[in-house]
Amino acid sequence: MESASTVTNMSRRVRIGLAVGLAAIVAGCAQDAPQDTWDPAGENAQMIQDLQWPVFAIAGVVGVIVLSVVAFVIVRFRDRGQAMPEQTHGKPALEIALTILPALILIGVAIPTVGTLMALNDTSDTECVVNVTGQQWWWEIDYPTQDGCGDGISAPIVTSGQMVIPTDTNVLVRGTSRDVIHSWWIPRLNGKRDMVPGRVHTVKLQADEPGIYAGQCTEFCGLSHANMRMEVIAMEPADFEAWKAKQLSDYQPPEPDTLAAAGESTFIAQCSRCHQVDGLEDADGEPVIARPDLQVYSGAAPNLSWFTTRNTFAGATWDLLIPECRAEVWDAPSDEVGQKYLEGVSPECLNSVDLREWLRNAPAKKPMYADPEQLEATDGLVRGMPNLALSEDQIDELVAYLLERQ
Amino acid sequence: MFTTGSKLLIGSAVLAVVSAIAYGTTQDGVMGTIGLVSAAIALAVLAGVNVYTRDSNVWADEISSVETAPAAAPAPGNSIWPMVFAVGALALTVGLVTYQAVFIIGIVILLIGGAEWTAQAWAERASAEASYNSEVRSRIANPLEFPVGAAVGIGIVVYAFSRVMLWLSKTNTVVAFSVVGSIIIAFAFLVAYRPGLRSKATAGVVAVAVVALIAGGAAAGVDGEREIKEHETTAGLEEEGEEICESPEEFEADEKASQSVAATANVAAEITLTEDGELTFDVPGPVEAGATALSLPRSNPNNVIFINESSEHRRLSVDLGTRLEELDEGEEEVPYRVCTTLVDEGGAQNITLIVGAPSAAFPDGYSFFVPGVESAHLELVVP
Repeated sequence: MESASTVTNMSRRVRIGLAVGLAAIVAGCAQDAPQDTWDPAGENAQMIQDLQWPVFAIAGVVGVIVLSVVAFVIVRFRDRGQAMPEQTHGKPALEIALTILPALILIGVAIPTVGTLMALNDTSDTECVVNVTGQQWWWEIDYPTQDGCGDGISAPIVTSGQMVIPTDTNVLVRGTSRDVIHSWWIPRLNGKRDMVPGRVHTVKLQADEPGIYAGQCTEFCGLSHANMRMEVIAMEPADFEAWKAKQLSDYQPPEPDTLAAAGESTFIAQCSRCHQVDGLEDADGEPVIARPDLQVYSGAAPNLSWFTTRNTFAGATWDLLIPECRAEVWDAPSDEVGQKYLEGVSPECLNSVDLREWLRNAPAKKPMYADPEQLEATDGLVRGMPNLALSEDQIDELVAYLLERQ
Repeated sequence: MFTTGSKLLIGSAVLAVVSAIAYGTTQDGVMGTIGLVSAAIALAVLAGVNVYTRDSNVWADEISSVETAPAAAPAPGNSIWPMVFAVGALALTVGLVTYQAVFIIGIVILLIGGAEWTAQAWAERASAEASYNSEVRSRIANPLEFPVGAAVGIGIVVYAFSRVMLWLSKTNTVVAFSVVGSIIIAFAFLVAYRPGLRSKATAGVVAVAVVALIAGGAAAGVDGEREIKEHETTAGLEEEGEEICESPEEFEADEKASQSVAATANVAAEITLTEDGELTFDVPGPVEAGATALSLPRSNPNNVIFINESSEHRRLSVDLGTRLEELDEGEEEVPYRVCTTLVDEGGAQNITLIVGAPSAAFPDGYSFFVPGVESAHLELVVP
């Protein structure tokens, strides 16, 4: 007869097991899952989806059969003190069958897998080229001069964190890295691809509908690996042309005697050693050229020419929009995403809290090897943005200046 | 008194204590000493447990303990492993005060000798029958000895062979490789078609060949590798004042440079000098050849392949603005050019460009050009 405590323990175990199982099932129902690889949004991701379902099903059936047989053997032939059965060795027919059957299953899986890999690696159908360069801990995205990407691109466009692409266009991403190995993955648009220093790897991206598709670095790359994110903004071709036109337009200096004008001076004095703003000139009318290669280990820092045309900053880790405004873009109907994104960041929508914290002390907000005293291996070059010890007035000026970069 | 296992553990603990003292008094740093002291403590505890349990044997008051006591067991057979173990311990101790390599070799020998000695001692307690004990030992040890021994043996042979090959001249390596390969094939055929050959004779020949190879490898390794000349680079000559990148003439670097292209993958762009004297380019992806400017990422290595389709030897040069050159009396701004060596008609050459400053940093920007061909000009844009 079972004691009361035994029954209580068993029912407790059952309850815990049920709770864990239920939690696992409920977790699969998450609505806010922007990096869901089971929810493809383009033909490349769909190819992967069409492959992984049957493979998953085959693996599942095999797993169920194997586990069922193991469970049956464990229960049916468990030790009850019975005599040792007759021992036999060798069963050629069974052994051959158990060799051929898995081989056939693997061949059956390999054929569509190889076909899908070859189709995903075929870049002959791409219509637009975007270079992606990883470095600790952000992605630079540049569009070389080309005839592709809609009506063509007459001069390079350099941005970071957010890649803007036209819908229904197969975009060829040419990726590399400036320091360590990173990995580019937008789960809803294609598989992941390692970005390796000295090598150029390619991956195609295509989105059927306008939208924002999130991703993050998937190769451990150092201290702020978890804070190295990116987003692909897919918009209608007409909206994409408008975005390109904005990115290629001339620099507009702030109105004289404004806070933003003071911010321009502060930017030249404090930020322009690393950050490029195309068209910016100093007091003598000379172009201000950033030289991050002399300051930063990776040799690069985000181009801030059109900073507030983007929605995120610092490796796409923080939003430039307050939550209400961000929701207006992310939750917009598909045909309005492009227009909402092109509105940029208004003063009312600016997430000044995070931006000011970043300007106040960047390494305190995002872990980075930005202390030159600890950088013997890089000869004093920083990884990431250092603390510039800006005053609150300087931060006010810079926020006003950056807000006009759209 | 003490069982064999207990003796081994007690000896190991004493050795660890001696090593800790030797290391602690002769070497800087405490980590090694802490490690050795920790090992001594752990071994001492294990020795104590083993003495208490008498090698997991029966309790002393049981009859079987008398029957299976070491005194009742047959004397152990001859073994080389205690000596190997001692050699390892000696090398380890000597290594502590001499070279790290000796220390590591000592550890390896010590581990091998200890493991083999332990396995043999354990097997000799299996029964009073020596042949059965030997079989037990083989069953336990051979699955580890054979693959590890084979791997080590192959490694030694390959390493010795590589030393000999690097010692010989470039031409003689081909001859030697061919001759040795032919001899091995001929010997293998002989063995296969003449089963009557005595196995001892065959083994003897192989053993002599291996010993000769290892001896040759050791001698070649001591004598050093043959002189391998580095290819001249244009960069080195330019620093010596030669205006090589602006000249269509042939320089010493062009004579000695390799005309082969190694970087066939991960090419950022291919630039072609056409028969008409024009520079065209092609990049991976749908950027049409014939565009007026090539754009390359900043602060990143870009492999560019130059293909010469003209009817003369030509080089591809890149005008990268200016750079500061350090002089005795300060710095001077000098033109910054990089280039390939002269490329044969129909040939190709690789150049890797890393550009830190954007092209906007210089009024004239950056450009590719071919010395001696006025029409060959291509704008380089670095954002």
